[in-house]
Formats: sequence, structure tokens, C-alpha cells
Amino acid sequence: MTASRVTGTWRDVIHMLYETLILPFVEFGFMQRALFGAFMLSLSACPVGVFLMLRRMSLTGDAMAHAILPGAAAGFLLYGLEIIPMTIGGLIAGVVVALGAGAVARFTIQKEDASMAAFYLISLSLGVLMVSLRGSSVDLMHVLFGSVLALNNDALILIAMVSGITLCALGVFGRALVAECMDPLFFRSVSRLGSPVHFLFLGLVVTNLVAGFQALGTLLAVGLMILPAAGARFWTQSVATMCLLSVAIGVCSSAVGLLLSYHASLPSGPAVMLSAGSVYFFSVIASPRGLLLSHLRRSAHGSA
Amino acid sequence: MKNLSKLIARMTVVIFASLAVPALAHAEKLSVVASFSIIGDFAKAIGGERIALRTLVGANSDAHVYEPKPADALALAKADVILVNGLLFEGFMDRLIQASEAKAKLTVLTEGTDILNDPAGGHYHYVDGKAVFHATPNDPHAWQSVGNAKIYIQNIAKAFCAADAQGCSTYDANATAYSEQLAALAEEIEAAVSAIPQERRVAVVAHNAFRYFERDYGVTFLAPQGVSTESEASAADVASLIREIREKRDAAVFAENISDARLVEQIASEAGLTLGGTLYSDALSPAGGPASTYIDMMRHNVQTLTSAINRG
Amino acid sequence: MTEACLTFDNLTLGYNRHPAVHHMTGVVRKGSLVAVVGGNGSGKSTLMKGIVGLLRPTSGTCSIAPGTRFAYLPQLSELDRSFPARVLDLVSLGLWPKRGLLGRHSAEDRQAVTQALLSVGLEGVEKRSIDTLSGGQMQRALFARVLVQDADLILLDEPFNAVDSRTLTDLIALIKHWQDQRRTVMVVVHDLDLVREHFPEALLLARRPIAWGEARQTLSAENLLRARQFGEAWDENAPWCGQPAHDLHETMIDHDGIARHRHVARCNPYAL
Repeated sequence: MTASRVTGTWRDVIHMLYETLILPFVEFGFMQRALFGAFMLSLSACPVGVFLMLRRMSLTGDAMAHAILPGAAAGFLLYGLEIIPMTIGGLIAGVVVALGAGAVARFTIQKEDASMAAFYLISLSLGVLMVSLRGSSVDLMHVLFGSVLALNNDALILIAMVSGITLCALGVFGRALVAECMDPLFFRSVSRLGSPVHFLFLGLVVTNLVAGFQALGTLLAVGLMILPAAGARFWTQSVATMCLLSVAIGVCSSAVGLLLSYHASLPSGPAVMLSAGSVYFFSVIASPRGLLLSHLRRSAHGSA
Repeated sequence: MKNLSKLIARMTVVIFASLAVPALAHAEKLSVVASFSIIGDFAKAIGGERIALRTLVGANSDAHVYEPKPADALALAKADVILVNGLLFEGFMDRLIQASEAKAKLTVLTEGTDILNDPAGGHYHYVDGKAVFHATPNDPHAWQSVGNAKIYIQNIAKAFCAADAQGCSTYDANATAYSEQLAALAEEIEAAVSAIPQERRVAVVAHNAFRYFERDYGVTFLAPQGVSTESEASAADVASLIREIREKRDAAVFAENISDARLVEQIASEAGLTLGGTLYSDALSPAGGPASTYIDMMRHNVQTLTSAINRG
Repeated sequence: MTEACLTFDNLTLGYNRHPAVHHMTGVVRKGSLVAVVGGNGSGKSTLMKGIVGLLRPTSGTCSIAPGTRFAYLPQLSELDRSFPARVLDLVSLGLWPKRGLLGRHSAEDRQAVTQALLSVGLEGVEKRSIDTLSGGQMQRALFARVLVQDADLILLDEPFNAVDSRTLTDLIALIKHWQDQRRTVMVVVHDLDLVREHFPEALLLARRPIAWGEARQTLSAENLLRARQFGEAWDENAPWCGQPAHDLHETMIDHDGIARHRHVARCNPYAL
């Protein structure tokens, strides 16, 4: 093979890589925004998801999608089909549900999973009632929930704000959050920050979810919070590393998913989720703490 | 004594008469239930004062996500005539009819109309951020063709006549008058569209509910979801749509009254266009809005289309 | 007269109107090493929780000398074993009283942690994750955390449960060392021989203090007998307690026909 043919082949490869991986984002504004929006949400939602998972509250995301209905309905009843009032209403409803369920779990005999389920069901029913009373059958949720391919400037600003606030909060209160998760009784004996930090955390969860719903839709918002965190769990025993890894998984899945949606004509939300999902399955099977390696019998072992 | 018995007799007559009058008055009006606002408008045009009309899915509402109420079931039970679109447009209707034990027969208004097959086997509407896929072999939006609307009118008149023979002459007269209005409307639409140069007759909407309009009047409708059967647009569809608009540069983009406008907005802005307005597809606007009757709706849609296309 | 570290004044602690500890009065002097003993349900853990502030007194007071830093090792740890953390992270939790939310952990702090692990015999284990520790190792790690807290008042609730004898010896040595450093230590212990051998002072609890003083005297046969006679279960029908505490002797005939005195616990937690 002559030298020029070798370089020629390399050039072709690079050109092909460019066309596959970079060009879609260069050519289309909506692809850039989709990537940017998903990246920014991953920055904040993934670490929040790590803590959510460590507290065994992973199903909160789904429950929250239903729980915000009465708030959105109130926004709709007062201001019509406008996104901003409905989003703010949804946020308020979500915060009430999350903090209410959290308070019940903390100060009474009930545990978090039951209190969250009870609160979101009550909230959802209230919301359905409110919508029916108005007489119209407009589907509020489809107006409220967005899509990653339809990010306008308002949505991007919203995600950027939420992302910034979350990262600041995690930076300041991270240590307390970890302590409270690891050994709550000990933490209570040395500090009074335990309950406030827990409630702040719930507030962050709701904020990230509601902003995510509005900008990216339920599937992506909940999915980006949970799947990367669940996958990252298998690779490290340090919370900080887990957060970084989950962000990396979230960011890569977003890029890969969008490219799949572009080249293979797949729907965008599910494509991102399934990319994250395949990382998850790979982690389950092939990670050091996964199925394969923990159950494989090792013939050699150390002497101490 | 004789005075007393006379008094009692008179009172009895008065009482019975007063009971009979509302009964008579009630027997006068035909009880009609229409499944959604467009059909309700037709029924009002044909039935006029002779009918008591109830519309289930009202203005600006989506029949696909409609949750029936007990009051609806009651109305169906008492109805003399029930008007539905058919072609699986009203997903909730079958169960509701069964539950209400309605005695009246269902009048399917798309019978006899010229139906388009949907090549993908269906279309869908947004529900909960995902789309409910309507797996129908036929496109149910038949009313978007004025020719089909005339057949709807005939079916309605027939149904009213069958239920209320006395008023038949009135119904037929109303139907004829309305059909004339529809004929005039059709001419209007054709004239307006033919004024647009051929290559510019392209409109972009969120999802395609206008295929009958396209077939009859020659305006091409593109939608990002197009004919795909997934629950969301894929980036490829959006990208190819944007490319097409950019290259051809002669489309206008529209929102719909019951769909999520954000995706279409983004497509418009990326292709360098602004939204041309709102089109009414599956429901009328409330009274006082630009599309509160069928004829108004079609006129509004055509005007919005032409002005936006001509502007751009 | 040595300073008081802890002062109890007619303290009553309870759950749902039932007293777990009542009419506790006394002083724990600074630098003392006290073993808290008593049967099951005699209120030892409750007393610890009351001192630390996890339980609010239903009446009376428990006051700690101002400026006292305390460390508490509960009987049942709520530590999440499956939490992804290394031993280093667990022990570093002890730095919280000093560094708080935002204080950076200096090289000094890291040195203190390593030293603490060395003191409990866990050197070289820093990087292991906590779910790989055995029971005894976990207990040592928790002791290391207490060490790092560098507290003046140390409260240990049944720290010797389920540890092997070697660990036991090491931990006792550590506790003695704390006493040498003039820290106040209160330890709940079940093993009375252990108390007699290693602890200078003992408090015998049977919901109320039965005896408190020098260990061997406190654990005399007579005192132990008195302690054993309190009812372990809560009595729904117990009448209310009057104030100040009066022991009402009731004579009862039990199945053997022997008349016995019984100290009926009568307690109204809401009386002041």
C-alpha cells in the first residue's frame, strides 16, 4: 500500500466519522439545541439521581409526573393554556407533594415509598377533578410536556437556571447530604442540618423533574435522572465518582441517542433512553460488581 | 256542594292540562346527541329550533383524550338520534353506548363519504406527551373535504327524518339551504387555492389531519411526524423536513388548535419562517372565536393558509 | 470539688406517657468513667438518647456543661452498610463537629483519621469499602470515628456486643486511655464482671437510679436484687405518679403465698 493510499484511507475514515458524528449537529440548529439541553439537564439531574437512588427513592420520578397535575390545572384554570403559569403551578404542586410525603415519612411511622405513593395518588385525583370541573377535555399534560427536538430559548434558559442552582446547592450541601444518607442517626447527633438538607434535596428533585418535563418530556426527564445513576452504581464505591460517571453516561447517551434518531430515524426520547439503557445492561453484566464477575468462580485467590 | 264539585273538576282539568303542556312541548323537540363540535354544528344547521342538541366533545377539545361523564351517558340514554363521525374517531363511544343502554341507533356520518386510506394504517394525536396511535386503516378526518361534508348533511337529514317524520320537510329544507352554502364555500376555497402558484402550495403542520383537504384542493401538507408510527418525531424526520423547506423556500408553517405548537415553532424558526397562524383541524373554536361554525372554520383555515403563503 | 459535666435534675424520659427513665437526679463529674448497668428495658439506652438530645425529657432536665463537645455511639447503628463509602469516609464523618459543612479537611485532619484507625487496630483498611468489614471491624471503625470527634463527653451504648475478646481488650484499653486524657466517658455494659474489673464507677438503673457510686459497692447483691424487681413491661394500668417521688409500698400476696413489697411505678409525666 502506497503512502498516499494509506493517508487517503485515513482521510476517508475521518470524513466518514465527521459526517456521522459531527455534521448533524453542525447542520441543524434543532440538533444543537437538543444536545445542549440534554447535556445541561444531565449535569444536574444525574447527580441528583445518584442520591435519589442511594435513598431508595428511584420511583419518585414517575410519581412526580402525575403529582404535578393539580398545579398545572390551577395554572390552566387561572391563566388558560399558557406554559409559564402551568409550569409554576406544577412546580408548586410537586414541591408540596414531595415535602409533604417527606415530612410524613420523617416524623411518623410511615416510610417514604408509601407516603410518596399516597400523596401522588391524592394529588393526581385532585388534578383530574379540577380539570373535569372546568368542563373542557383539553389534555393539559400534552401542552405542558415538551420534546427534546422542540427546545425553544425559554426552555433552554429554564434548564440552564435549574442546572446552575442544582450544582450550587449540591456543591454547598453535598457533604451534609452524604452524611445524612450514610448514617442519619449519627448525623442527627452532631448536626441539626439533617432534616433541612433532606427537604432541600427533595426540592431539587422536583425542580429538576418539572423543568425536565416542560423542556424534554417525561421520558427523558425521569430517565436521565435514574438510568445513568443506576448504571454508574456498578463501577465505583465513591459517591463523588458515581456522580461524575453518571453525568458522563447521561451526556454520552444523549449524544448517541440523538445521532441514532437522526441516522436511523428513531424517535428521539426513546433513543436516548435506550442508549442509557444499554450502558446500564452492560454495567449489570460486565462490571466488577456485576453479574458475570461476581459469580464467576475464580480459581486463584490471594494469600491475605 | 255543586259549586265544590265543579271547582274540583275545573282544578283537575287545569292540573292535567298544565302537566300535559310541558310534555307536549318536550315531545316537540328532537333529542340529539352529537359526538363532537363539528358534527354538532351540522346538526344545529339542519335541526334548528326543532332539536335539543347536546355535544359531547366541545370546542377546542380533543376527542381522543375525552373522558365521558355520567351526564353524557344519561343524555345518550334519552337521545332520539345519536350522531358520530365513525372510522374509529371517537374511541370512547362504543363503551359509552353500552354503558348508557341507549335505545337510539347510531348514525355514522362517514357512511357514503369518499374515504382515504391511511397508508401507515393510522395516525395519532398527542396525549401525555406521547401520541396515542390511532390504528385505523382509514383517515377519519373526512369533514375536511367540503364534498364529504355535504354527505354528512344528507345523512343527518335522513336520520332526523326517520326519528321525527313530522319535521321532515323542515329538515330537508334546511339541508338543501345548507348544502348550497357548502357549495359556495367549496367554490370559494378552490378559487382561493388556485390563486396560489402551484409550487407554493405547501403547508407544514404538527400532525397531518388535513389529508382530505389536500386531496380535494391541492395544498400539500407536511408534518414532522408524517406517516411514521412511532410516538415521537425522529430527528431524521425533522431534519428532512427542515431541509426540504430550506431548499424549496416556499412553505408556510402553522400551529393547530389542539396540538403542541413548540415543535412546529422550532422547525419554522430554523427554516427561517414564522408561524403563519393557527389552523383548526379536529374541533371548532368557542363562540366568538374565528372558527365557531364549520363554514367559519373552513374559511378561516383557507384565509390563514393563503395569507401566510402569499406573505412568505 | 471536680466540675460537673452532666447534671440530671428529676429527669423523666419516656415514650407515649410510659416512663422509660424517671426521677433521675445526680451529677456526672468531669473526667469520670461510669458504667451504666441494668436489666433489659431498664432505661439505659433511653438515658443515653436523652443526654444527647435525641429524646426530649417529659419532665425535669438534663444539662451538659456549656462548651462540652460530645460523641455518641448508639446501640443500633442506622448506618447504611450498602452505602458506597470507604472506611476513610466513614471515619471522616467524625470531622463534622470541627469542620462542618464547608470546612476543608486539612492534612492535619487526614493525619488524625489515620491515627485513629491505627489506634483501633485498623491500619491499612482505609480504602476498603464498608460493606466488606466484619462486625468487629465495623465496631472498631465506629470507635475510630468517635476518636476523631475528639469529644469531652463520650457516650457508648453497648459497644461490646458481638465483638471478639481481642477487640474487647483493645477497646477497653482505648476507653482507659480516654479517661487518662480527662474525658468523661459513660458506657452501657451488660457484663457485670467486666464492670467490676475495669470501671471505677457504676450507675445501676431500673428505670430509676437504684444505686450510683463506686462500682463494686453499686453492684452489691442487695442492690442487684432490688433492681431485678422492677417490672420490665409497661403497665397500662399503673396509676399516676405523684410529686415528689414517693415510693409507695404495697403489700401483695403472690402465688407462693409470700407477702412481698412491690414498688409500684406511679408516674405522671406531665406533673411539674
